[in-house]
Amino acid sequence: MNALKDAATVNEDDANLLVLIIDTNPLIWTRLAKSTGLSLKEALQHLMVFINAHLALKHDNEVAVIASHVDVRLSEDTDQTINSNMYQRFKVVNDQVINNMKELFEDLSKLNSYPEKASSMIAGALSMSLCYINRIMRADEIGHIKPRIFITSVSPDSPYQYISIMNCIFSAQKLGIPIDVCKVHGEDAVFLQQAAHITGGRYLKLPIPQGFLQFLMITFLPDRFTRNYQCLPGEEKVDFGAACFCHKRIIDIGYVCSVCLSTSVNEGGLRVVNGIKKLDKSKGRESGGST
Amino acid sequence: MSKQHKQKNLTEEFIDVDDEIQTNTQQTGYAWEEEYKRSWDVLQEDEDGSLKRTVENLQQRKRKRLFRDTATIRRGIIRHMFLIIDLSEAMMEKDLRPSRLDLTLSYAEQFILEYFDQNPISQLAIIVTKGGYAEKISDLTGNPMDNIRALKNKKNTDTDGEPSLQNSLEMARSTLIHVPSHGSREILIIMGSLTTCDPGDIYDTIDNLVNENIRVSVVGLAAEVQICKLMCKKTKGTYGVVLNEAHFKDLLFEIIPPPPVSNTQNKAELVIMGFPSSVSDSSPSLCACHSKPTIGGYICARCHSKICDLPTDCPVCELTLVSSPHLARSYHHLFPINNFVEVPWNNNSVSPTHCFSCQIPFPSFLGVRGGAVPIETSGRYKCNRCQQHFCIDCDVFVHEVIHNCPGCLAAIH
Repeated sequence: MNALKDAATVNEDDANLLVLIIDTNPLIWTRLAKSTGLSLKEALQHLMVFINAHLALKHDNEVAVIASHVDVRLSEDTDQTINSNMYQRFKVVNDQVINNMKELFEDLSKLNSYPEKASSMIAGALSMSLCYINRIMRADEIGHIKPRIFITSVSPDSPYQYISIMNCIFSAQKLGIPIDVCKVHGEDAVFLQQAAHITGGRYLKLPIPQGFLQFLMITFLPDRFTRNYQCLPGEEKVDFGAACFCHKRIIDIGYVCSVCLSTSVNEGGLRVVNGIKKLDKSKGRESGGST
Repeated sequence: MSKQHKQKNLTEEFIDVDDEIQTNTQQTGYAWEEEYKRSWDVLQEDEDGSLKRTVENLQQRKRKRLFRDTATIRRGIIRHMFLIIDLSEAMMEKDLRPSRLDLTLSYAEQFILEYFDQNPISQLAIIVTKGGYAEKISDLTGNPMDNIRALKNKKNTDTDGEPSLQNSLEMARSTLIHVPSHGSREILIIMGSLTTCDPGDIYDTIDNLVNENIRVSVVGLAAEVQICKLMCKKTKGTYGVVLNEAHFKDLLFEIIPPPPVSNTQNKAELVIMGFPSSVSDSSPSLCACHSKPTIGGYICARCHSKICDLPTDCPVCELTLVSSPHLARSYHHLFPINNFVEVPWNNNSVSPTHCFSCQIPFPSFLGVRGGAVPIETSGRYKCNRCQQHFCIDCDVFVHEVIHNCPGCLAAIH
């Protein structure tokens, strides 16, 4: 698990591609607006300022926005709006993001049919952003564009997405793409904490949700080159402990099945895990996950 | 030992008289001839007089789409592998650029890194063979850097005399028979020489390898050798002879995904492992692995000694120490995603105009039908589970790197 050492690969004049994943889980945002006063609308206003600031930093900076909704996502691909006029460009980007967001929320009929504990499709959004970055990087033969992913997360971890999120993290690590995470509200998202740690990004849990913009501008705006010279806030310590599949307890020493890699507390767990394995191999493991 | 000469690229600049005879007797011709067979016939202009579409189409066909076995099969996730590198004088040949030896060493390094990336809780050791004897330059270890350091050491990599296949196999076997039965036992040989200098009957060694369930794979750099072929066949390994530099890498990297194992070969077992917690002290303390003062590290869950890096075996109590992401790294081998199917042109009336994941526009059907050049592929590939369409780049990327289908993960099923 080596964190990325960026210093050698990143240059001062490199263009930056920011893929912004906004968690728009409506259930959580409604709750958040009631408890802390930060509504999705306000958060989006903050994010707009952030996006514009990113575009203003360098003329060839680019941004793509992906909404990670409860079951639909859309991607607003704004890199085609090449315009010599900076302000024009802000407008195009803002309009596009706002219009697509509106479309997403207009479909209210669906909203009531969501299950109570529905989670945001972070794994899908991450896979999509990696594909998009892959496309941009392939087109950019001289390696001028340096991508990074920034997730604003409000939803809790979904254990069902564990394997797919981990797959995304490892591919991002392989491609050298840092994943930054801003946890706006709620419990620490352990999967995303690992994502930031493994890929060499920053993980920050907002102490005051109202100060969203402040944290965006200070912590998440600096590009990959500038970061080598800055000491940014965020937690260093990440827990990589494993949870056993039988009791969901965090364990220090455990028994790991040599075939399916499921973990159990003691040798008696063999029967439990193997029982699941015989019934439904994939479900037995997916519901496990680790913390 | 019987040898069977396989045709290979000649490096001589001049045309040999033998050339003609060789091409006549073997119908296939040279590898480079195959690739450029009448390529001008395919090239045609479209209605605008541009070649862009035809060129794109050619590139698309060249790009290989790997079709993988997507059934849930048992794989040997915990592997124990010996990498045997031939350091005989035959390795000094320059038919592979810059030389067989230099290329082998640089590919071996990449192989080791990729091997540990995809098989994080596996182990690897390196044996070199030269001058008729075999020498172990690194022990079975879970740390890629130990192996690479051994390879980088110039003392370990000078060439001499003939290799000894039997000596190196016996040396690997003597360690592999002590490996617990839940792990796979494998040997990978990179062989540049066509001959070997053995002290006894190599057929006995092969029979022993078969009895011990040790899988032997060989990558030959010169020509096909019968004894290697026989050995790989008997031990259910793979045997390949390289055609060129890129093919060498392909052959080597084919060994990296964990191989399927039969249910009878090894039983499911529970392996005891420790999940150490990370520490960062304010003042440096000695680590148990290198006896050097370090600030951060991990504390062994059983004996509380400090180690530098994961995954490893605790140097004090020999407990296998991993962290949960290491286990997660292997999951994609256990749950492969389905292959995408190519979408034919005729059912494209309602299909999306952009690739689902990267938003690149697809070539439009109407534009092509009106054109002079019929394009065989539509450039769309569909996931049968979520019915989304993807471009070829995303298809390859999704299956080779991410191992997630963006479409399936985008909606609740």
